[in-house]
Amino acid sequence: MMRIILVCSAGMSTSILVRKMRNAAEERGMEADVNAMPESELHAHAGNVDVVLIGPQVRYLEDQIKEKVKGYDVAVAVIDQMAYGMARGEKVLDQALELKSE
Amino acid sequence: MNSSLMQNFIKVAGFIGSQRHLVAVRDGFISIMPLIIIGSLAILINNFPPLGGFSFVGWMDGIFGEGNWQAVGGSIWNGTFAILGLLVAFSIAYNLAKSYGVDSLSAALISAGSYIMLVPWTEDGGLTVAWLGAQGLFVGIIISIITTELFRLLVQSKLTISMPEGVPEGVIKSFRALIPATIILLLIGLFQAIISVFIELSVFEIIFQVIQQPLQGIGNTLPAAIVIAFLNHILWFFGLHGTNIIGSVIEPLYLPLIEENLEMFKNGVPATEVPNLVTKPFLDSFVFMGGSGTTIALLIAIFIVLRHEQKHPYNEVAKVGAPASLFNINEPVIFGLPIVLNPIMLIPFILVPVTLTVMSYVALASGIVPRTVAIVPWTTPPILSGYLVTGGSWRGIALQIVNLAVAIAIYIPFVTAGARALKQNKEA
Repeated sequence: MMRIILVCSAGMSTSILVRKMRNAAEERGMEADVNAMPESELHAHAGNVDVVLIGPQVRYLEDQIKEKVKGYDVAVAVIDQMAYGMARGEKVLDQALELKSE
Repeated sequence: MNSSLMQNFIKVAGFIGSQRHLVAVRDGFISIMPLIIIGSLAILINNFPPLGGFSFVGWMDGIFGEGNWQAVGGSIWNGTFAILGLLVAFSIAYNLAKSYGVDSLSAALISAGSYIMLVPWTEDGGLTVAWLGAQGLFVGIIISIITTELFRLLVQSKLTISMPEGVPEGVIKSFRALIPATIILLLIGLFQAIISVFIELSVFEIIFQVIQQPLQGIGNTLPAAIVIAFLNHILWFFGLHGTNIIGSVIEPLYLPLIEENLEMFKNGVPATEVPNLVTKPFLDSFVFMGGSGTTIALLIAIFIVLRHEQKHPYNEVAKVGAPASLFNINEPVIFGLPIVLNPIMLIPFILVPVTLTVMSYVALASGIVPRTVAIVPWTTPPILSGYLVTGGSWRGIALQIVNLAVAIAIYIPFVTAGARALKQNKEA
């Protein structure tokens, strides 16, 4: 089971992508728990997540988020801009898988 | 564009967007938004203008007796907007303490307590309501930051009572805050005593007159509105969340301005005569329609220009982005088209909001369109938002439609140019 959290400013714009990613995971028969939340709520989930993906519009939070999950086995990255804009669930899911396998 | 200049700009924006205290201020305001919106809607309902021949207020008066039913909305106002300063003192402290990972509830309670300690009293022993509200906003911000910084330092300095093992966590927590709270409240009390002996003015009056009032004066001008519109869109052009980054500055500046409008509207002043033109609802509903860049107009321009080319990438982005755009969420368009770092789109993306800001300002200043007297969630669709923020006026809708038409007209040539460039690129 792979746990993915998408972070943006209010958790609103990434929620569109969340739905697409859940669908993509389901089609592949993959078990994935995908959620969106604002950065301020992330600390409560630091030990409970495998991949944190950051919305490109808040990419300046990357260092801060890496600091927050330090000590846990969590991969952090900014979502590919185009994939984010077009809400390409498949592609972002691939990005998450790649990050975890690195 | 000079790339090192650009790098520096992004660095500064990133710093502001992630600076702990600024983020706490912004999140503090976001936390109280539900209360603020409810307070505002209560006032709107209490003073709803007649629709054609039907007067809602008159109808309610007929059923419940004149003015009786408005007591409900009135008390909602008293518990929300009327205590804005106190709410902010609590919620900013809470968010700041949370970011430090120290007991946020204790920090928030200490901050709220300290705030009340400084509020001037009336002669018959009551709290002065004016200072609990928007006029005390800056004191609320300052108090919450000072007390929470002190609290964090004291807690982290281990200047706390330690408990033997086996004592329940809740008990330990309450005692851990005891010494820091004592020291902080003592300091605030001393400060208050000294100030009232030597200056005979309250901190509230000083900060309001020296900081808050002048800043608000600047905020309520056309140049300030243009600067905000410009900054927000430059940030978005670089792919950074503009409203998020400048929110920590905008909210404290503009919330008291709309509060002033609301307070007068509540007391029967018509929406055309309230004092402040530039407010957050002004920008949200007349300029940022469909999100920053008035991108709902961009989508319509795409649908018009590319009506015969359904397969064009622009059309596909527009289709993906349209539903969210109705609720003023436009990240799909900004990143998908993209607008980010796209030199063709830079011009209209900034020109449109600046033009609409000026047009809307003129429309409100001349009295053609009523000023803003309500706060609605920023996700409220255009047309509905224009009607509500103007206190239920069709002129608000008319201004939105005129603005949209102008925005579409500005976007069309750029969409045509961009679409052609993209096609040539693909064929080449």
